[in-house]
Amino acid sequence: MVEAPGTLHAPRPGGIAHRLRILQVIVLAEFKLKYAGSALGYVWSVVKPLTLFTVLYLVFTRIFKLGSVSEFYAVSLLVGIVFFSFFSDATNQGMVSLVHRESLLRRMRFPRMLIPTAATLTAAMTFGVNLVVVVAFIAWERIEPQLDWVLLIPLLVELYVFILGTALVLATLFISFRDMGQVWELAAQLMFYASPIIYPAALLPQWAQEIVFLNPFVQILQDVRALVLYDDLPANNVTAPDVLGEFGRLIPVGIALAVFGLGVALFKRYEPWFAERA
Amino acid sequence: MSKIFRLPHERRTTLKEYFLHPFRHDGHEEQRALQDVTFRVEPGEFFGIIGPNGSGKSTLLKIIAGIYRQDTGTVKVNGLLSPFIELGVGFNPELTARDNIRINGTLLGLTRRELGARFDDIVAFSELERFIDQKLKNFSSGMYLRLAYAIAVQVDFDILLLDEVLAVGDAAFQEKCFASFDRFRALGRTIVLVTHDLGVVQRFADRAVLLIGGEMRALGAPDDVTEKYEAFASPLAV
Repeated sequence: MVEAPGTLHAPRPGGIAHRLRILQVIVLAEFKLKYAGSALGYVWSVVKPLTLFTVLYLVFTRIFKLGSVSEFYAVSLLVGIVFFSFFSDATNQGMVSLVHRESLLRRMRFPRMLIPTAATLTAAMTFGVNLVVVVAFIAWERIEPQLDWVLLIPLLVELYVFILGTALVLATLFISFRDMGQVWELAAQLMFYASPIIYPAALLPQWAQEIVFLNPFVQILQDVRALVLYDDLPANNVTAPDVLGEFGRLIPVGIALAVFGLGVALFKRYEPWFAERA
Repeated sequence: MSKIFRLPHERRTTLKEYFLHPFRHDGHEEQRALQDVTFRVEPGEFFGIIGPNGSGKSTLLKIIAGIYRQDTGTVKVNGLLSPFIELGVGFNPELTARDNIRINGTLLGLTRRELGARFDDIVAFSELERFIDQKLKNFSSGMYLRLAYAIAVQVDFDILLLDEVLAVGDAAFQEKCFASFDRFRALGRTIVLVTHDLGVVQRFADRAVLLIGGEMRALGAPDDVTEKYEAFASPLAV
């Protein structure tokens, strides 16, 4: 055999189709599990970001008067919260997914990457439910849909690639370092306040903008806002090219791809030992 | 083929310990779970693995299943495996039996159509019709076993890996397993069975291997191998 030590296994039935079927059954089961036994069920996935939104909205419009920097402060804030919740939930659930499914890992052989992928996709379903609320807000504000909203699709793809890459890195680390859970919770909290979610990007000094726009999440969020809230004031519609130069968007996009590449490589490298260490 | 587990004396899994004692070496000891184990199982063979607790039987099965990675040597598996390890196939206790059948059947390679066609067979074999929409956390270990075995044998496997399948089943279910062993043998399927029941090895196995402390002590006809095991075990028996 070429690989030594190695294991030669006959191909599993299906290949890609088999993997997709696994993803489908796990995601559906997880989604069901998440809201099973709770009276309000899926409603909870909307209640959480909406509550955060309401609190922040009241604090920052009534007390800090941030409402004046954007025509659509409410929608803009909601988009930020919903996108951030997706990032934070998906990376957290992806991180712990291997350890939570330890009994499955120790009894069956299947591509391990399906486990964190399923966890992030489950979070994506919740994100989808939340987007319905965002769409309702957009309709309420009477914002006219534009043709270039199709550009939201590559942005969502970029966001998912960045999230999955981050989740794969975290899942691999979490196997050996269990306090990554605490570290990541803290890091995500810092990222929330370091990103222009509550406040408009233009309020940051230039040097700080140059740093935060390296974060693919910030680039995506600002691009989404600029597309959807195209009529908004310039202070809120700062995007990566405004800060990092004409081709500035390529830097955060490149970082998202690099994180994904790192995640896949790291995960593959340590995958053979997940079962015994999880 | 060999397998070494690095067993830390005191598991250093938190960052704090790394920061506090960055230069202290991880006090792990290496446990040789398996040492120079070499054998070949022929297609259609019923192969028994016996040995005392902690002798490496389950580790060996997990390596064959591709769940653990061996440290040296090569494992070749020709054909589709269906593993039944540690009394199960990795159920989720919070989900119903129905959902667990769907998930585990899919993981084992069944398509949606195959699953639909075989669902009733799985339920019938397990004799758990009444409990099919209950959560698995309410199942007894015997019911767990029935369901897991019923799923594992519904795959069109070439090789079935069985770890202690008989341990918690009642007499009726054991007889059912024995009947299925005969059926698989007639179909030319390969079965690798880990068990403490020497009678089963003598009754069904074509060949067997005896593992003690991770090393092969005997390989060959079931009667010779079980005899060696009894010779090894008897001085320890009270």
